[in-house]
Amino acid sequence: MCRLTGAAALLLLLAFPAYSQDSYQVDLSQIEKEIEKAADKPYSLGGFLEFQPAIFGIDRDAAFSRLRFFRRDQDSGFEQYNFRLRLEGSYRKDMFSLFFKTDTLARNDFDGWDEDTRLFEAYLSVKPSPGFIVEAGKKVMKWGKGYAWNPVSFIDRPKNPEDPEEALEGSTVATADYIRSFDGPLKTTTLTTALIPVYRRFNAKFGELYHLNFASKLYLLLYDTDLDFMVFAGPSRTTRYGFDFSKNLTTNFEIHGEWAVINNFKLNPINAQGTAFTQESEAISYLLGLRYLTEKETTYILEYYRDGTGFSRGQMKDFFRFVENSYHDFLSTGNDSGLARGQRLSKGAYGKANPMRHYLYFRVSQKEPFDILYLTPALTSIINPADGSLNLIPEVAYSPMTNLELRLRGAFLLGGKRTDYGEKQNDYRLEFRLRYFFQL
Amino acid sequence: MKRQASKQTLLALTLVLIFATPAFALDGTEILKKADANLQPESFESYRKLINIEPSGAKREFLLYTLKKGHDKIASLFLSPASEKGRATLRLGDNMWLYIPNVGKPIRITSLQSVVGGVFNNADIMRLDYNVEYDVQNLEDKKAEHLLSLKAKTGAVAYDKLKMWVDKKTIVPTKIECYAATGLLIKTLYFKERKPFDEGVLRPSVIETDSPLYKGYQSIMVYARLKKRVVSDEVFTLEFLSKIETIR
Repeated sequence: MCRLTGAAALLLLLAFPAYSQDSYQVDLSQIEKEIEKAADKPYSLGGFLEFQPAIFGIDRDAAFSRLRFFRRDQDSGFEQYNFRLRLEGSYRKDMFSLFFKTDTLARNDFDGWDEDTRLFEAYLSVKPSPGFIVEAGKKVMKWGKGYAWNPVSFIDRPKNPEDPEEALEGSTVATADYIRSFDGPLKTTTLTTALIPVYRRFNAKFGELYHLNFASKLYLLLYDTDLDFMVFAGPSRTTRYGFDFSKNLTTNFEIHGEWAVINNFKLNPINAQGTAFTQESEAISYLLGLRYLTEKETTYILEYYRDGTGFSRGQMKDFFRFVENSYHDFLSTGNDSGLARGQRLSKGAYGKANPMRHYLYFRVSQKEPFDILYLTPALTSIINPADGSLNLIPEVAYSPMTNLELRLRGAFLLGGKRTDYGEKQNDYRLEFRLRYFFQL
Repeated sequence: MKRQASKQTLLALTLVLIFATPAFALDGTEILKKADANLQPESFESYRKLINIEPSGAKREFLLYTLKKGHDKIASLFLSPASEKGRATLRLGDNMWLYIPNVGKPIRITSLQSVVGGVFNNADIMRLDYNVEYDVQNLEDKKAEHLLSLKAKTGAVAYDKLKMWVDKKTIVPTKIECYAATGLLIKTLYFKERKPFDEGVLRPSVIETDSPLYKGYQSIMVYARLKKRVVSDEVFTLEFLSKIETIR
């Protein structure tokens, strides 16, 4: 804890550069040279370097803590050091453009060093005209209007609701966008069609292998309202369809929503004895949200999410009881088969960030309070109204100089026994993040 | 007879008053339209550097690629710094959006916010022609300059009133004071360094601003490679915001 605070304080101090008090003089010729250089460059290469130390406070009686640490004498807390390199680049020539984004994460904690490099995006874009664009490769589709969750995002990986603005790894797809603009109440339409191959080398974890899947989205800007209608039809996953909308009631007050149906969705809960069941249904998910900006630049975001693919309160309680029973078996007999099964289940639907059916998201952030430039404090909470447990995330973000971002953040998980957040691995997490952006 | 004469005089005076104001406004409007045309073409592309200077001397710089079409469409793409690269803004009339690469949908922003911080707000960065948003209320003769008093056409415009000094010879604004509805001076814009741009037309290449609300702060906008370009309407759509880079 002290080390983390010390590192954060030192880095904050180092981040304040010394400036001269001389008045600034515009050097027009120098600026023009810079602009000429940037304008003529057909490629770009940049990204960021990140250092993120974190401290975890473990709830040793929680189900997910027992599943992870039952074989070891784990302290009630541990430190973790994350180093990340994000690289992004592009090259354009005539109607062709190439984009890529990679992510390399090196992590050190009680398990030692771990390294993971992923290709987040890499695709070719061909644009014969601004109204017709064909793209192929690995990319993120970004369907949906929700901030923390997107039930209509049928192709992308799910966002992390604690950090929804972080980049995601894309899927391998081929897409075509046809955009038209009009005068009148209907201002824009865009038809997006996508082919999603699911084979050993492409999207292997997406669903059933050896199929080519089809998805499509129709976007309309109608009466100043964003509307999307989307469908996914393919053998790798069951058919799903939905729509979303976003509308500004005033310039600073926006409402949005999503609605999605997944046909023949199979949920596999277990009972307290560990017996598995299969429930097949038409899973209906939806989200309603708003974003409100005050004159003093306070932003409020509020969302309600109903996840039709989630577990009920009773089903989740059964899972926690199963883990409790398995843990007591292990302590009394040394038999770890129940906990090993629980571990496997925790890597699936039970281990999702939000595995249940009802959630509320609330975030309030204040831009530059007390006239402190480039400082943004925020408070986020994700609440499970079914069991009253919640995650409370206070944070302060600060950019002391161009291309340097600092963020200090805590996450406090509050909830009773056999509740969603009460049974997560951690009681709290404190982290400091330093990001330095660069451009070559 | 006397009563009839005074009636005629009153009528004549009324007519003079009725017609005098529009005649004034027409002149002023003509000047405003010419001033707009001399600041920037109706449809164009340009590169701009925005520099925010803080009282400490610290500065932050942003490089933007901008496309404007007609009276009400303008889109900008951030080329630098690295932390902002890929962000894009779109303005369609009074509606403004900001696209952040990792966030799915573009979010709505308001004219008085600023996507770059500093003294320039979004209305300054995504500026439409002045004659689109303002009516001329008064025209004064100030020796070498015209002084136009402008009033916002709707409440959605960032500044309620403007005072615009226009050089008589070049019909180019030299200074604009921006006022709130309360009469409070929000900021002053200074137009400097006329340079030949598209087809040799001389236009101001530097806009400086300061504000009594941000004492000690200064922001500068430097234009380069400003030239006429007409792109299709599809470029000015939310769906295209993530793809502006492909048409530079």
